[in-house]
Amino acid sequence: MAYLDLKNVTKSYSGVDVVHDFNLEIDKGSLVSFLGPSGCGKTTTLRMIAGFTKLDEGTILLDGEDITAVSPNCRDIGMVFQAYALFPNMTVRRNIAFGLLMKKMPKKESEKRVAHVLEMVRLQDAAERYPHQLSGGQQQRIALARALAVQPRVLLLDEPLSALDAEVRVVLRGEIRRIQSELAITTVYVTHDQEEALSISDKVVVMNRGVIEQIGTPEEIYRTPQTHFVATFIGTANQFFGKVSGGDAVICDHFTLLADDVKDFTDGQRVVVLVRPETIHVEPDQPKHDGWNIIPGEVETITFHGAVTRLGVNLHGQRVAADITVANTKPISLNQKIWLLFPPAACQVMAVDERS
Amino acid sequence: MKNPQKPLRETNKKVRPAGWQIVAVALFLFYMLLPIVSTYIFSVATRWDRTILPEGYTLEFYIRAFQTSYFIITLRNSLILSAATILVSLIVIVPTVYWVHTRLTGFKPLLDVLMILPFGIPTVVLALALVQVYNVPPLARSPILLIGAVVVYSMPFMYRPVSNAMQAIDALTLTEAGQSLGANVFQVLSKIIIPNILPGILSGSLLVFSTVFAEYTLTSLIVGAKFKTFPLLLVEYTRINGNIAAAFSVVSFTIAWLVSILILWVGTKGQNGATETIQAR
Repeated sequence: MAYLDLKNVTKSYSGVDVVHDFNLEIDKGSLVSFLGPSGCGKTTTLRMIAGFTKLDEGTILLDGEDITAVSPNCRDIGMVFQAYALFPNMTVRRNIAFGLLMKKMPKKESEKRVAHVLEMVRLQDAAERYPHQLSGGQQQRIALARALAVQPRVLLLDEPLSALDAEVRVVLRGEIRRIQSELAITTVYVTHDQEEALSISDKVVVMNRGVIEQIGTPEEIYRTPQTHFVATFIGTANQFFGKVSGGDAVICDHFTLLADDVKDFTDGQRVVVLVRPETIHVEPDQPKHDGWNIIPGEVETITFHGAVTRLGVNLHGQRVAADITVANTKPISLNQKIWLLFPPAACQVMAVDERS
Repeated sequence: MKNPQKPLRETNKKVRPAGWQIVAVALFLFYMLLPIVSTYIFSVATRWDRTILPEGYTLEFYIRAFQTSYFIITLRNSLILSAATILVSLIVIVPTVYWVHTRLTGFKPLLDVLMILPFGIPTVVLALALVQVYNVPPLARSPILLIGAVVVYSMPFMYRPVSNAMQAIDALTLTEAGQSLGANVFQVLSKIIIPNILPGILSGSLLVFSTVFAEYTLTSLIVGAKFKTFPLLLVEYTRINGNIAAAFSVVSFTIAWLVSILILWVGTKGQNGATETIQAR
């Protein structure tokens, strides 16, 4: 049985469903992230788990117990906020000990616990400082330590890294994952940053407009997106709109694409073919490769990204992104006529999501 | 961390003030201080109507002032009135401002407007209206009614600083952080919110104290001689002996300053973090 279980959770504000019929089971000790654009309902769902927002419909079970009507201070669920929310009037030590004080833990034990979590976030020296004397990254570490000190049943993180510098973000997300795994604490992580979600999660829940688009491991989400929205939201994907023809092809305006998974669609159905830039090969001369898609185009932009260089290629008026690495491609220059080459397996065919 | 965000404190560049600026400031100070300094001198002057400076100096008026039978009673009444007003004001204002900043944010504009009203209603009208409406025992013309009236009258002075302090902290997120750590509403208020808005509470209390300690109109119209306060005694003596009235004024100033220092001292002593909090802003 799932440890944290959300059943038919629905929440609406002034008649509009912010979260609609949300069902999710979270295993004990796993890190699940809610990923989606702003306004997709991820934070609302998190706040409903925390108890700050009341549900309109549905139930939330924690370890078999219905906590839907339990007030937030009795749920035993820890939370880390985007704005850190450290108590400005207290030192780091008193901030961390606050939850233990509420639990009426004996002083000796509380001191031990504070020292332990401070060590965990590697800020032993900061105990006597006030929050305003710390950097943003340090403050968020303390906020994490404070939430962990009470050993909550579930840890919730609401965009904890959004207010930090890119460099600090990467370090801290690794720390969060390390600590989470060490303690094996059930964690829900809300973010709009796909790289963050993919890099630290056991499971990713992709949300859009209040509904779950897909639940899966980071790899599943990236490699086998199940909806048009997920495919376009995660990573970069070139989109080709067209109509299904036969069992293996999609006819677009100027060319026909060969694809593997067309069988589920009826002949003539309007679909979208998604091709990731890294699956496209670029050739300066017309290649010969039977059974692959080969389309001519002209290089319009060249953007250097370090490990890869991204080309913007004009394909009959449509801009297509293709990634090349210096090691396996001949030099390419602007306005050069080139050939794009990719296998049918690289084409993911999906029903068109008109909203995306 | 590589880039600790140290709180930056602006250092004022030293610029030599221009001559006219010095003159302007001097004129302002003269205008503000002249009445106070004159009152102080008048309270120790023997005779001061034929010369620029008094003809002689004496402590006689202070001795006579302290010997007045009503001196201690009125002083006590004024202190009771001020303290009670501050207390009631805090109990009413702090939770209201808290709720308005966290759960009932829609009511904030309404409250902001309501808090200007006491300035708009003439004190005499307020006093007479209250006397009419609450003309039932035990309220009628009682010190309790006076405290109620003074609380309304001085409410903006408490509301503004408290509301500004509440605005400066993210009250809702701090509340939720407290709740997620197991604190109930009272613990959140007493351990998190109030210590963090303490600077606002202190300055509000000081403003209310100085307003109420010097309050004359409401007191004289609502309770009159039944509950004589220090300003009533002072006004009475302006008609009997100006020098003694001046001595009373000096006592009044001194008490106001002492109490201000006391409130600030108690406030910062009670909360170690408060000074830090004030400095941090």
